[in-house]
Amino acid sequence: MTTIDPPFDAGLQPERTLLAWRRTGLSIGVGGLLFIRFAIPELGPVAVGLGILGLVLAAIAYVDAARRYRRAHAHLTGGRVHPSPAVPVMLVAASVAVFAVACGIWLGVAA
Amino acid sequence: MTEAGRRDDRVDGTHRFPAWVYRDGAEPDPRFSLANERTFLAWVRTALALLAGGVGLEALKIPSLDGPRLAASAALLVLGLLAVVQGWIGWARTERSLRLARAIPGPTLGVVIAVGVLVAAGLVVIGSLL
Repeated sequence: MTTIDPPFDAGLQPERTLLAWRRTGLSIGVGGLLFIRFAIPELGPVAVGLGILGLVLAAIAYVDAARRYRRAHAHLTGGRVHPSPAVPVMLVAASVAVFAVACGIWLGVAA
Repeated sequence: MTEAGRRDDRVDGTHRFPAWVYRDGAEPDPRFSLANERTFLAWVRTALALLAGGVGLEALKIPSLDGPRLAASAALLVLGLLAVVQGWIGWARTERSLRLARAIPGPTLGVVIAVGVLVAAGLVVIGSLL
């Protein structure tokens, strides 16, 4: 992220989007840790597996956001169109949906 | 493909995914696309917060009657799922609307989620007072 060229936008939109991905990645990671902490009594190794999966996803989202930020910056300052964020967007959405179902299964077992 | 769509491909040289979002219209101001991306991420964090609330109520055994607490927990988990669905659909529909210079679609599931959170909160309060 050590770009010395001027930003694409005075409002720092690409930078703010990078930071939004970071806090979302961190939130997913915390969610994975909390799931391990609270679902172990009922789900055991399944809880650990799902939690670790969440942590891995969070790490990938965090790192990939930096790569995509550099790419977006290069495209936008180079007069090219903004690259589609659809693949990571869909992956994160699908993962959180799966996580929601896992929470539902946990609730069913715990209640 | 529209004339504007072909113009975009000349700038970019590739077809962007998903095609149904990027096929029509003209390239919007990239700042709007970036804002749209951040709105999706805000929905993801909202979904995570709802899920954490749903799991937390039951895992921490918040002092309340078992029935209403369980119902509130289940409701929050369903709302978390709806929030992330809204995030994805909203991102795609908004991006498409930006390209077509149409009005941005409202958060369709937003009302359902707002009412649902209100109901879940009401259940917890009633359960803890009875």
